[in-house]
Order: sequence, then structure tokens, then C-alpha cells
Amino acid sequence: MKVSRTWLQKYFDTELPSAEELAHALTFHAFEIEEIEGNMLDVKVLPDRACYALSHRGIAKEIAAILNIPMKADPLREAVPSVSTTENLVVTADPEYVRRHTGALVRGVKVGPSPEWLRSALEAVGQRSINNVVDISNYVMLDIGQPSGAFDLAKLKPENGVYKIDIRRAAQGEKFLALTGETYELSDTMFVFSDAVGGLVMDVAGVKGGKESGVTEATTDLFLSVGNYDGTLIRRTAQKLHLFTDASSRFQNRPSPELTAYGMRDILALLAEVTGGTVEGVVDFYPSPVSMPAVSSTPEFVNKKLGTSFNALDILGALTRLGLSHTKEGESVVVMPPFERGDVVIPEDLVEEVGRIIGYEEVTPVPLPGIPAPAQLKYRGIERVRDLLVARGFTEISTPSFAVNGDILLSNPLQEDKPYLRPNLRVNMEVALARAVNVAPRVLGPVSEVKLFEVGTIFTKEGEKMALAVGRKAISRKKSPVIVDNVDEFMGLFASNVAGTDEVQEVLFADADLESFGAGYEPKNPGLGKFEAFSVYPFALRDVAVWTPEGTTEDTVAGMIREASGSLLVRLDCFDSFAKEGRVSYAFRLVLEANDHTLTDTELTDVMGKVTKALQETSGYEVR
Amino acid sequence: MHEGKIHPITAATRDIADIFGRMGFSIEYGPELEDDWHNFTALNIPVDHPARDMQDTFWTKEDTPRVPRTHTTAVSIRCLEKMAKEGLTSYRAISPAKVFRNERTDLTHEAQFYQLDGFAVGPDVTLAHLKGTFETFFREFLGPEAKVRFRPSFFGFTEPSVEVDLWFQPEGKEGRWLEYCGAGMLHPNVIRNAGLDPEKVQGFAWGGGLERLIMIKSGVPDVRMFHNGDIRFVHGFSE
Repeated sequence: MKVSRTWLQKYFDTELPSAEELAHALTFHAFEIEEIEGNMLDVKVLPDRACYALSHRGIAKEIAAILNIPMKADPLREAVPSVSTTENLVVTADPEYVRRHTGALVRGVKVGPSPEWLRSALEAVGQRSINNVVDISNYVMLDIGQPSGAFDLAKLKPENGVYKIDIRRAAQGEKFLALTGETYELSDTMFVFSDAVGGLVMDVAGVKGGKESGVTEATTDLFLSVGNYDGTLIRRTAQKLHLFTDASSRFQNRPSPELTAYGMRDILALLAEVTGGTVEGVVDFYPSPVSMPAVSSTPEFVNKKLGTSFNALDILGALTRLGLSHTKEGESVVVMPPFERGDVVIPEDLVEEVGRIIGYEEVTPVPLPGIPAPAQLKYRGIERVRDLLVARGFTEISTPSFAVNGDILLSNPLQEDKPYLRPNLRVNMEVALARAVNVAPRVLGPVSEVKLFEVGTIFTKEGEKMALAVGRKAISRKKSPVIVDNVDEFMGLFASNVAGTDEVQEVLFADADLESFGAGYEPKNPGLGKFEAFSVYPFALRDVAVWTPEGTTEDTVAGMIREASGSLLVRLDCFDSFAKEGRVSYAFRLVLEANDHTLTDTELTDVMGKVTKALQETSGYEVR
Repeated sequence: MHEGKIHPITAATRDIADIFGRMGFSIEYGPELEDDWHNFTALNIPVDHPARDMQDTFWTKEDTPRVPRTHTTAVSIRCLEKMAKEGLTSYRAISPAKVFRNERTDLTHEAQFYQLDGFAVGPDVTLAHLKGTFETFFREFLGPEAKVRFRPSFFGFTEPSVEVDLWFQPEGKEGRWLEYCGAGMLHPNVIRNAGLDPEKVQGFAWGGGLERLIMIKSGVPDVRMFHNGDIRFVHGFSE
């Protein structure tokens, strides 16, 4: 909800602090602020408070409570003057959908551009000015949170001078031409305003107005509709039509039906002031008026939840600032929530009101009372398996749970080509092995094989299971196929069924075994250091072998290579060394890589030239 | 022989299990494919709540659709049910495990990630205990300068609900507040749904991304690196 500081200011005599200070106050006591732009704040109103806070009045009330500054006037606490009814308007409605509907006939409006104050108020919160009638409806919605609609009476057909509006279920397949010019096909779960005499579908009730009954410059008489509709049904309609409007987003959060009377009051006043329109009469459909049950709590209860020691004065003060009127009955505080505060229902709601208004910074951290550390057996069992594999040179991987094939199909997969939950870990393991072989020289150095494992959940017809996959793959094709041998010991421990190939084996865990396997085991905790990102560009490998005088250490040679090769060298492994006839030979593999491009032959030749030169020029060294 | 390496999620989990273990938290596990009750209804998430929308939640194509759990709070509610069944009066547990969200992926969003969920329930567990628990955890996990602060928020399963920010100062850089997770005092409906009596027990619960903690601590730039099976990622961490 975008609010403007200028608009909020109309609720206060004292000058409000800057937008930044308002944002800070709201952030720590009410709502997250998504954006500040000049005098505009974009306030993230969450569903619980959306019944009252999707409005400038709602935000102003919060600011009044947080900063403890009085509101000049509160439109929801001011009486609604009674307006006479009219026999020329009949509204019938389905009470399953319509919680309340306040309708009116207004005559003699002059449609035209809005006055400057109205225009700029709307533009300050990113709304476009349309015409004075539509702008008034929008203004009142943004001001006190009540959506409404205005229709051109000339487009409706009276019967003996009587306009008959029916708020009814739409027919399956019924067409609706929206204000935007788009046509929607409705279903019988949706509700519409229809002209019961002429048959025109005027509005998808509470969601979007229709083009054919919309207000134009020629309009002089209006049917005004200020309603309140079932939040769930509204939400489903908006979803089905992909039509989320300012109105639907308010109605789906269940503002009070009491609010329609206030909305009508404000709209009529503005229509008279701005367009010269006068009301002929108001017709109210309100089958079951709502009342707000009292909520009671005690200071002890509040402190017991928050872990604080607020005194009764602090607590009552917070409630008073929020306009939550209350009485004391013994130790109890009985709160009578105002009609718009549909979110205050249980004592815990009062705990939140008190906690946030006083401020959560007043909640002092307290450690939980000490209790013996729990056994964490299953966890220890799983970690022991991991540690055994790591000790045998296996690297742990984690792979996605979505798969090309499987038993459990998703109705709304993220990727159409991976609509299943994985039925095994093997398939991902094979892919990971192939990739690991490609990057092994960069990551692992001159190894003859890669060894990976994954612990994860698989999903089959029989249910979900925790599985372990172990994979090994030879890097050089010259070698014979790898046989999984030294992981046998815990394959035996846990296997309830083993499947696999020469390269990949997969087993299922049994919980009971894991717990006994884990008893007393202390998982290794290597800690978590800094992460160094790898280049997305390919690395290159170059080997160099050099004779050195007897007694030369590997580190000395490595140091010379590092210095000569510069920043492109990302890894250096000595893969061979032997002594012969008073000399030592070292063979190194250089891994070269740049962060921002693929290395060219020229660059590689240049680096290797420098390395060779540096070694060659050292006394007693001979590059082989 | 060349040593292998555990995945950073595992390394972080061991740290976390240690720290919370010392504070009396066990580690609990639950199904990744959940029923509606444990993922939503028991957690006081009404039938028409936005979280149930197709754009947020994956559903299986089955006669009774199930949901790849959207949070490990589902594990917490299972623990509370166990607590009721076994007549326990207090229980503390964490659940660091995989969850699923049907949302577009980018540098900070993944459709599958790990969540660190946890709760402490007993006769007198308060919001102040939540703050104390987090302060201890973050100090031990991130460093002695770590601090936490609460901001008001809304979650169906907690009342009051708070957003937890943490103060983190990377080595040699300026410290700043980072949004970390949602938390609060368990809603009495949730306690009741588990078969417990909200007059007798109360407690806190929280849920936040585990990858995010690792990203903060170790400086990982992209959440999508965690679960793509690439060993360059695993070996990219110093110990």
C-alpha cells in the first residue's frame, strides 16, 4: 500500500516527522516498508492487518499510536449522518456472497477533471486521475479502505421509475466486458451486479466494473455501490480471472461490513462538493449486522508470553494509544475492539498489540533454562556414515529432487521436463560423476578417479525413503572399470536393498540401524570457512618437469613456478618426483584460469614460457 | 589417501546441531512429502490462505494431493503431536532439512532449499527466551558481534509474530542488519491442533533458510549453487 506523508498529514495538527522517520517508526512497530520515494512510503501490509490498514486512515492510526501523537479527527469514530432512503432503487443480493451492500442514487453530477487537490493526492501514491467521479471513489478507498463503484444510471433500465439491481451468481459462460475493454468469461462460482430489468451485467461484484455501465463525460445520474463481499469467494474469482484489483485485494482481507456506511458518507460528501451531485436516497442491504466480541486479558498473561515485566500502566497505555477502548475488571483488562479491527480476537492478539507498540527492543533476551543435551541418535548415525565416506576420499554432493521419470508426479512442476519427484539418487549421481570428471583437475588435482556420495530422500510408490548413493568414476579411459570395494562395510550395515552399476551404488537407510550406529558418535566439525567462487570460464592444464640439484625441496620449485606464472595460476600439483644420479626430478601440473575470459593459446604459451625461463635460468635446474 | 569433503549444508548443520544441542534441542526429521494437515491446516493456515496457491506450493497429482513440504514447521507440529501423545511437558527441537517452494529462481531464491526450523515448548517458554536463544546461536555461529532484533510480522502459526534481523559484521567490512527469519509464539490453535493444552504449555517457533546463513557466513553469492551436484562448489569452502 502506497501512502503519502502529505495525505497522512491531514490527520494530524502537529507536523509529522520525515518520511524516513515515519518508515523507521512503522518498521519497528507495525509494518515493513518496501520503498521510500520522496514523500511516498510503500507499506507492506500483511493479511492480518489488511482489514484496517490498507488505507491512509489505518496507517495514520498506527503512526498516532507509535509516536503517541493525537489524531486531529478519526473518520471512523465520527457519526454517520442518516440519509433518507428512496423507493426508486431496489437492491437484491445473495447473502452467501454479499455481507452488506449500501447503494445510492445520485442526481445531477457534472463529470469532468478532478480539482487539483484530488488529482495530486492520487498522483502522489502512483494513481492516475480519470475523472472526478472515479477519482472520488478511489480517494475514499485509499483514505479509509472502502472500495466502491459508480455506474451511469442512464445505461440501466428502470421499471416504472424504479432501478432494480440484482447481485447474483453468474451463469456459467456468461460474458463480461470490463472497463479496460477486455472480455471475461465468467463461471457460476462468481457473482455479478446485473440490471434486473435491462439484463446488463454491470460489474464482477467487488472485483471489476463493466464498460457498458461505466461513468463517462455524458453521465449525470449515478448508481453508487458500496459493498462488502465474502473474502474467500472474492479471492477465488480474482484468481480465476487473473484480475487482482485494489478492490479485490481489500475485500479478500475481510474489512468490516460496518465500513460501507462510512464509505458512502464520504463519497456522497465529496460528490456534492466536487461534482455538484445530490443524493436521492440510500438503500442498505445488511442481513446480519456484525458485532465485535470483547477480548480480555491480564498484565500477567501479557508478561508471561513476552517474558517481560511491563506494568499495568504500560500495557493500558499501549491499548489506549491504539484506540482499543477497555475497562478493568479486577485483574482483567476487557478490550472492546473497534469494528475495523477484525484482527483483535484472542488474548494473544492483545499481547502482540502491547508488545509491538511498547517495542520488541524492550524484550530482554533470556537464555532457556539448562537441560541435558539430547541424544540426537539418528543425526549422529547419518553423520557417522558421512564421515566414513569422507575419510575414504568421497566428496558429498546435493542434487535436485525433481526428476524426468519417477512414481510421484507433480501437478504443477517447476520445469515441464522434470515433473516427478526423484525415485532414486542414481540418475543424478551419474550426471554429477560425469561433471566431476571434467572439473577434477581443477578441484581435486591429479587424481585417477572421482568419488562422490549423496544422502537424500527418494520418493517411490511404496513411500519416501532416505537413501545413500555412492559413485566412483575413473578419469583416465585407459584404466579398467572401477569396482566399488572399500565402502562395502557400511553397505552391509544399512542395505535393505542395493541396486547399482560398477560406478554407482545406492542403498536405503533403516532408521533403527542408524540410531544404534550413531550412539556415542561425535561428528567431525571442520567448521565452515570462506567460500571462493570458481570461474565460469574453462581452465587449462599444463605440465612441467624439471631436474633440480639434490636436496631441492618440492616447495622451493613450487614457489618459483607460482611466482613466474602470476595470477592465472589457480592450482599447482606435484604429481611425480624421483631422485637419480645426484639429481631430483619434479613434475608439476599447472591449472590456469581467468575469472573473466577463456584463456587464449597466446596467454598460455606466455605463462609457460615464463615458467620455463625461470626454472631454466636457475643454476643446476634443467627443464625436461 | 586424499580426504573427501562434506557438503557445506552438512558442515553448517553440524555446527548448528552442536550449538542447539548444548541448549537442549534435539534434531528431528519428518517426511518431505507432507499431508495438508501437517503442512497447512494444523498450522492455522486457513483453507484460502495465499500460501496454498499454486504459485507458491507444489502439489502431487494424486487422489489426495500431497505437498512437498513448504516449511519444516511441518516437522515441528509432528513433534508437538508426539509431545501430546507421550504426555511430555517440554520439548525443544530443530529440523534442518529440505523444503520446496514453487517460485521463480534467482540469486537468492531456489525452488528447493533447506530450512532451519525449530521450537521450544514448555510451561513458561517466552518470547524473551526466543531472543536469548537466537543471541546465543548467532554469536556462536557467526561471531561474538552478532546481535538480533525483532520486528512485528504475521504468520498464521504464531501470535505474536516477529521478523528476526541479525547484525553481522563480515571480516574487514562494515556491519549491517540482515533479514533472517520469521518467528513468534506458537498460536494457541496450533498447540490445540497438536492435542496440547495452550493453558498449560506455550512456546516459540521459528523458520529460516539454512543456505542464507551459509551465504552470510561464508560469502556465497548465489543460492542456486547449493544443490546442483557440482563438486567445485563443495570444494570452494575453506575449513
